Amino acid sequence: MIKQTAALLSVALLGLSTAACGSNNNSESQPSASGASPSASEPASESASASASASAEPVKLRIYAQYADDDTKLPYDYAVAELKKEMPNVELELEIQAQDDGQKLKTYAATGNLPDIFQAGLDIINTFKESGNILQLDEYSDKYGFTDAVLPSAMNTLKTDDGHVYAFPYAGNEMILLYYNKELFEQNGVKVPTTFEEWQQAVETFKKNDIIPLALFAKEKWPDVALYDIFASRYDEAGITKLDKGLAKASDEAYKTAAEQLAALVKAGLLQKGATSMNYDQASALFFEGKAAMFLNGQWDIEASTNALGDKVDWMYYPGTDASNYESSKLVFSGGGGPGGYAVNPKSKNVEVAAEVAAFISRKYAEFKYTERGTPIVATKVDKEIVKAYPPMMEKLAQAIPNMKTTAFAWGLSNPKFKAAIEDASQGLMAGTTAEQFVKEVDKAIGQ
Amino acid sequence: MNKYLGNKAAIAVFVLPALLLYSLIVFWPLVQTVYRSLFDWDGVNTASFIGLDNYKELLDDDLFWTSLKNGAIFAALIAVFQIGLGTLLALAISDAKVKGRKWLRISFFMPVVLSVTVVCQLWLSIYNAEYGLLNKLFELLGLSYRQDWLSDPGVAIFAIAFVNAWQFMGYHFALLFAGVKSIPEQFVEAAKIDGASKWRSHWLITLPLLKETYRFCLVFAVTGGLSAFAQMFIMSSGGPGTSTYTLTYLMYRSAFRINEFGYGSASAVVLVLECLIATLVINRLVARERIIY
Repeated sequence: MIKQTAALLSVALLGLSTAACGSNNNSESQPSASGASPSASEPASESASASASASAEPVKLRIYAQYADDDTKLPYDYAVAELKKEMPNVELELEIQAQDDGQKLKTYAATGNLPDIFQAGLDIINTFKESGNILQLDEYSDKYGFTDAVLPSAMNTLKTDDGHVYAFPYAGNEMILLYYNKELFEQNGVKVPTTFEEWQQAVETFKKNDIIPLALFAKEKWPDVALYDIFASRYDEAGITKLDKGLAKASDEAYKTAAEQLAALVKAGLLQKGATSMNYDQASALFFEGKAAMFLNGQWDIEASTNALGDKVDWMYYPGTDASNYESSKLVFSGGGGPGGYAVNPKSKNVEVAAEVAAFISRKYAEFKYTERGTPIVATKVDKEIVKAYPPMMEKLAQAIPNMKTTAFAWGLSNPKFKAAIEDASQGLMAGTTAEQFVKEVDKAIGQ
Repeated sequence: MNKYLGNKAAIAVFVLPALLLYSLIVFWPLVQTVYRSLFDWDGVNTASFIGLDNYKELLDDDLFWTSLKNGAIFAALIAVFQIGLGTLLALAISDAKVKGRKWLRISFFMPVVLSVTVVCQLWLSIYNAEYGLLNKLFELLGLSYRQDWLSDPGVAIFAIAFVNAWQFMGYHFALLFAGVKSIPEQFVEAAKIDGASKWRSHWLITLPLLKETYRFCLVFAVTGGLSAFAQMFIMSSGGPGTSTYTLTYLMYRSAFRINEFGYGSASAVVLVLECLIATLVINRLVARERIIY
């Protein structure tokens, strides 16, 4: 009896596990098989007018996008509401993007489960391009008038180095600003620095008066890289991008001197104690509460800084090596943009509609940021009137933008190994490691 | 009994579910990791076979040695703290004269049930160099000693290891306390009759009889320390610089930040081997004979 029961159970168990494995295999292979065939077999003429075909039958698209705070939620919601008016038959099923260095998306790609539309940066574009997981959008960009809508100054956000379009951008070339508290500078008799020497003097004065010279959320490593880039771009206007492309080494005079200058300033007490373990909330609180005289962040912090400090806050042009360098490199800003935005899965069952929707929501996303979020830094032209007036700091920035040159943010670097190395090494600099150590670590990663 | 042991089908039925689960969840991924470590692979595109190159590169990588050293520091610190303090507290709580034993028992175990993120956030505030509790405590005591606990490359790994040691001390305390309680009372009574003091009887009776529990605790503490990740991920992101990297963090960086899954797999294989060797050594050196009362 026991033998019989046991045998029966074994068979049942094996059967179950085989069935489970079988169903897994099916689910893995199905999307790519079924996803590939429609797009491959669909004649171009049939989908020439995607809007027309789209309006005929309901389409449900999976979209993987940022949706975390007001700056990402509100533009997305606006874009979706506008889409509902334009293409009422299209329904978007949102999957919120994880802050995981693109791992979820890469796993989706590896398992043939990629959403129809997804937000992609340069890293994802480069990886997916090789594996055929991202649609080349050149044709669609022209067809839906996206190429014409891109601002000339933001053309670098549309095309990658190979000259093709893989994502519809919405963000323009953003930049790092050195915010400062005007009142604290006045109270302490400190001149807004224009040279490294004046910056050093300002640091010493603030330290003497128990004020933190610069609040930095150095736990996140990209602001550390940005601070180094501010120094590096005073010596070479390409800043860290030259290192990223292997066109320069950290041991080159310009980059080495930049590291030494920064290390000296950190040693003089530039940053708050424990900077490398502080996040944005902690570091910005120090600045907003008047405990820190300066703060480093992107231009997207203009609104929060204005709300917290009113007319006490402003941004300064980066100090230079000397007065003439200050003037000549005044419009070279750390930061910038790169190819990225809403991309399309080439294996989607509705490639045509997905491409049209991606182009549409990118433009609407930019439109909302321009009209309602107080930022002129978008990738595409916007015809609508500004609803929310720009804060004075943004007005000042808008005047500088036309002649501005930018480098790159850490997240826009193309060599992942170099990116990780410079992030770690820059954070080390903020914690007091030497410029020699920085140079050694960065040089090791360059060209790998 | 022999009748059942002779029935191979019955053995298969009872063993198969666990074996299948173990194979699917542990063994197969492990085999995959070893296999993948022989490739140059970014996780998405076609991998190319490179033999043992990832391992060779690992040996030349300064980060690997930093990670290895940090794992050893982490493991040593938590083993000493958790087992040392756990023993003292277990012995104290097992003493009937100690008041509020139940309450203390619960308090010691409480951090174990908290999420690692909550504990890390708590200690981030305590360690904060500007307004953290620890530095304020020194200030209150009139001491000029201050530390940049998490931003000093030489101190950060100890500060982070202490967080793990503090949180999971209660776990080891519970194991040791159960061990103390399982020792037959007549052993201690006999020692008392022979005139042994409380600490002498603990030294000569309780602690030697806890050998098996120690072996268990040691394996947990050492392997847990070598594979530490969550605390450095939440509290320091491996920083400042690379000063709090461990092998698990190196694996994360390689696979997820720089798209080198092959290299990440190689560091994972080294980690598994390291834990395996540590477990074998502990099992060989500690409590080789089974204690039966």
